[in-house]
Amino acid sequence: MEGHQRNLYLYERFNARVLGVSRDDVITLKYWAKDLDLTFPLLSNVTSFLGVSVGAQPDGRPIFSRRTIIIDHKGIIRYVRDGSPEYKDILLFLKKLNEEGRSNPAAGGKP
Amino acid sequence: MKGKTFFILCLFLMVALLAGCTTFQTEKKGVPYRLTAQGTVIWEDEFEFLPPPPDWKLLRVEVGENDINFGFTRSDPGRFPSMTSFAYDEEPFGCSTKFEEREKEFFKRFLFNAILQFQVLEKKKVQVLGAEGLAVTVEGKDPVRGEKVMAKVIFGKRGDRVVGFYITQWRPMDGTYDPAAFDIFDKFVSSFKFLKKSFYEML
Repeated sequence: MEGHQRNLYLYERFNARVLGVSRDDVITLKYWAKDLDLTFPLLSNVTSFLGVSVGAQPDGRPIFSRRTIIIDHKGIIRYVRDGSPEYKDILLFLKKLNEEGRSNPAAGGKP
Repeated sequence: MKGKTFFILCLFLMVALLAGCTTFQTEKKGVPYRLTAQGTVIWEDEFEFLPPPPDWKLLRVEVGENDINFGFTRSDPGRFPSMTSFAYDEEPFGCSTKFEEREKEFFKRFLFNAILQFQVLEKKKVQVLGAEGLAVTVEGKDPVRGEKVMAKVIFGKRGDRVVGFYITQWRPMDGTYDPAAFDIFDKFVSSFKFLKKSFYEML
């Protein structure tokens, strides 16, 4: 998470927003965000439907799998990686997406 | 900026207070450095620095994300846990790009496995990496295990981002610290140079 917080200025450059989704309750996430000095949104999804919808909810477990997803402005999932985030890979992918958008503003890039 | 046309980076999380764990591992892979005629080391064509004397052993510090930093360690005379280690850290704990804030964030997590209460012994502005940085010297004590550690952390800048150097010197509670190791660390830091721009500067 700290990696994402460090990279917020780069996500901004590439016209991206970051949000986290967890099955933990709001109080836990507030404590966690404060402890790690996170400023981006964390969503509490106790009922897990968001995780189920993207296949990040293992059967019979009370937590999500770690998964990073990039969704474009049309709502299309363009990137999925499991496990610990690969920050440089994410940044390169966002840069590429943004460049696609700059050549075609309808695709959502930052002009 | 267009308000409605941005990409969303969505993270599914397991909340755990272990993010950013750093593990030390001794050298296993090929040699990523070369020596110069001037006695400095060039590491992966990216960094140049003055290495410590030969009794220091090379450490590679795995920080996840395929990033590997490096440092040096040596066993010191005396009972466990007498040893000293120092390292360069491309992504020190914390997020802020302001040194004073980064320092507070950093010490929330630094050596967190040891559960130490740190006392700041000295904090001062220093010249590092060709610009102003911040050096913080602390001592942590663990009365339950009967151990103590003196550490010095130096924050500097690489482009927009904060990088760090740190040294830790562990001793039994009644042990004495060896300031000579800190002098070696200071020489390492003051000699440290970047030979090329970082990934983030070139992005």
